[in-house]
Amino acid sequence: MRVGRWLLVLVPLVLLGLERPPVLPHAPAPDPRALVPRVVPIPPDNPQTPAKVELGRRLFYDPRLSLDGKVACASCHRPEFAFSDGGNPVSVGVFGREGTRNAPTLTNVAFRRRLFWEGRSPRLELQAVGPLTAHHEMGMEPEALARRLSSIPEYARAFQEVFGEPPSLKNVAFALAAFERTLLSYNSPFDRFVAGDDRALSPAALRGMELFFSERGDCFHCHVGPEFTDDEPRNTGLYTVYPDVGLARITGRDEDVGKFKTPTLRNVALTAPYMHDGSKKTLREVMEHYNRGGEPNLNADPLIRPLGLSESEVDDLVAFLESLTDAQFISNPALLPSR
Amino acid sequence: MRSWAVALWIGLWAGALAAPVELKVNLRVGEAPLEWGRVYQTPMGQRYRIDLLKFYISELALVRPDGKEVRVEGLALAEFRRGGPTQGVSVMRFEAPPGEYRGLRFDVGVPRELNHLDAATQELPLGVNSGMYWAWNPGYIFYRLEGTAFLGGKEEKWVVHMGTDAFRIPVRLHDLQMRRVRLEVPPRGTSLVLNLDVGRAFLPGPNGAFLDWQQPRLRQLHGMSPETAMVMAVVYYHMLSAFSLAR
Ligand code: HEC
Ligand code: HEC
Repeated sequence: MRVGRWLLVLVPLVLLGLERPPVLPHAPAPDPRALVPRVVPIPPDNPQTPAKVELGRRLFYDPRLSLDGKVACASCHRPEFAFSDGGNPVSVGVFGREGTRNAPTLTNVAFRRRLFWEGRSPRLELQAVGPLTAHHEMGMEPEALARRLSSIPEYARAFQEVFGEPPSLKNVAFALAAFERTLLSYNSPFDRFVAGDDRALSPAALRGMELFFSERGDCFHCHVGPEFTDDEPRNTGLYTVYPDVGLARITGRDEDVGKFKTPTLRNVALTAPYMHDGSKKTLREVMEHYNRGGEPNLNADPLIRPLGLSESEVDDLVAFLESLTDAQFISNPALLPSR
Repeated sequence: MRSWAVALWIGLWAGALAAPVELKVNLRVGEAPLEWGRVYQTPMGQRYRIDLLKFYISELALVRPDGKEVRVEGLALAEFRRGGPTQGVSVMRFEAPPGEYRGLRFDVGVPRELNHLDAATQELPLGVNSGMYWAWNPGYIFYRLEGTAFLGGKEEKWVVHMGTDAFRIPVRLHDLQMRRVRLEVPPRGTSLVLNLDVGRAFLPGPNGAFLDWQQPRLRQLHGMSPETAMVMAVVYYHMLSAFSLAR
C-alpha cells in the first residue's frame, strides 16, 4: 500500500517540460510547446528508497526536530501554501524568534541548482543543515538533535533500517532531502496547455503567456524554462538601498548588493507575500513593480526597465501566473503528514 | 632474542624522531580563567556571558631556532561548552622530533583545499555533524563564539561566526630574533599550553568601531556582509593577538 503510494509519486519521474530558452537579450520567444523529458536528478550518494522518503516525510512534519519542540520544517513550508509560509512576510522560528526573509516554495525544489535566496547552497542535503541549526529557525546543535531522535524508539529503528546508523544531523538532512525530491508539481493549467489541451488556459491567461514569453514582458529571460527560474542571482531594483544586501552578504562585493536568486513561479498564486522579504502582498503589486521598472539601483539587471504595459495587460500577466497553480500538488496525500 | 633487540632499537630511534606532544588551551577573559555563567563587561561597558566556543586549528608547525619548520599534518576542532572544562583542555595531539623550538604557528580555520569540498561527504571534524558547516555560505565557520548580552533588562543572544577563506586567522607565536619564546620538546614528550583571551573580540578597533550588541544587526556577526564587515574586521584584527603561550 505504502509502496504503491510512493510509486505513484516517484515513477513518473520522466516529466514533461520546456526547452530552456536562450538567455540572449534579443532571442526570439521560445515555443512553449517544445517538450523534452525531465528526470529528477538524484545524487549517487543519497539514492531514493521508499523507507528513506517516508522517514524524510515524518521528519519534515515533526516539531521535535527543534530546540523548543514547536517548530517543524512544515511550520514555515506549509503544504497548503505550496510549501511556503502562507501569508507571513518573514517566518518565526523557535522561541518566537523572527527571521528576515520570506520562506520560498519548495515546489520542484529537486531541480534547483542553487538553494537559498542568494543561491549559495549547492544541494538539499547541505541546505537542510541551515534551518535545523539556525538560531532563529530550529536552533539545534548536532549532538542535541542526535540525542533527541535516538531517544524516540520509532526514529532509532527507522534510521537503523534506512542508514544502518543511529540518527545524526547528517542522516536527518539526507532523509529530508529524499522527501523534498518528491515535492513534484506538473499539473497546472499551463502544463495541461503545454501537453496539448487547448482549453486549459483562459483567454486572459493566454494573452498573459504571450506577454510573459515576449520581448515586451521579458519575464522569461530570468524566469526560464519549465521551472521558471535560471537559478541565478539578479537585482530587480526592488529598492534603491537594500536593507538585506543579498549575495553581497557572502561575497562582500558592492556589485552583488541586492542580488537574489530568481524564484520559481510554479504555484506562485499560493505563495504570497512575494520577494525575498515578503514586501509585495499580491501578484498585482509585483507586476506593478516590474511595469514601473523598479527603483533606481546601480546593480539593477538591464532587463529591469519601464515596460509600458496597460492595466489590462498587467491583469493578463497576473492571470497567466495564476494558471501556474497545481491544485493536486497541495492535496497529494503522499506529500502530506502520514496518518 | 635478536628480533627483540631490533624492535627495541627501532623503538628507541622512533622515540628520538617523534615525541608525543599535546596542544592544550586555557580560555581566558583578560588575565582570568573563563568561568561559565559569569557575567563579564566589555571595555565599552556592555555586559555579556559566553555560552559556546568552537574553532578549527590547522596548518600547525613548530619553528626551529634556524627558522625551519616542523609541520604537523591534520586538522582539529576545539570545543568548549557551558559546564565543560575551560583550562588545560587538550585540543590536538601530534608527534614532533624532540629538541628546542622557538615557538609555533597555526591557523584558526580550515585550509582552502578542504573548505570547499562537498560537506555532505566529509567526516568529523569536518562534515555537517561538526556543527560548523555554514549552510548558506559554502565552507565552514572557523571560529564560532556565542553568548548572551544583558542590555538593560533584556537578554539577547549573540553570535560571532568567523569564516570564509579571507578570515582564516594566522596565529604566530614564535620569535627568532629576540628569542623570547623557547619551547622544549623532550624525548618523552610534552604539552604545549596556549592561553586564548576570548574577551579580545569585544575591544574597539583603531577606528572606534566595536561589536555593539545594542545594534540588532551586530548580534549576528557572520560572513562578509558589507554592513557588518567593518566590525568583523575589527574582531579579526584582535583575534590575531588573542592567543599567547602560557608560562
Ligand atoms: C522558521 C522558518 C523555517 C523553518 C522552520 C524552515 N525553513 Fe526552510 N526556509 C525558510 C526561509 C526564510 C528560507 C529562505 C532563507 C534564505 O534564503 O536565506 C528557507 C529556504 C529553504 C530552502 C531553499 C529553497 C530554495 O529554493 O532556495 C529549502 C530547500 C528549505 N528551506 C527547506 C527546509 C527544510 C528541509 C526545513 C526543515 C529542516 C526547513 N526548511 C525549515 C524558513 C524556514
Ligand atoms: C532580471 C531578471 C528578472 C526578470 C526580467 C523578471 N524577474 Fe521576476 N524575479 C526575479 C528575481 C531575482 C526575483 C526575486 C527578487 C527579490 O526577491 O528581491 C523575482 C521575483 C518575482 C516574483 C515573486 C515570486 C516570489 O515567490 O516571491 C514574481 C511573481 C515574478 N518575479 C514575476 C515576474 C514577471 C511576471 C516578470 C516579467 C514581467 C518578471 N518576473 C521578470 C528576476 C526577474
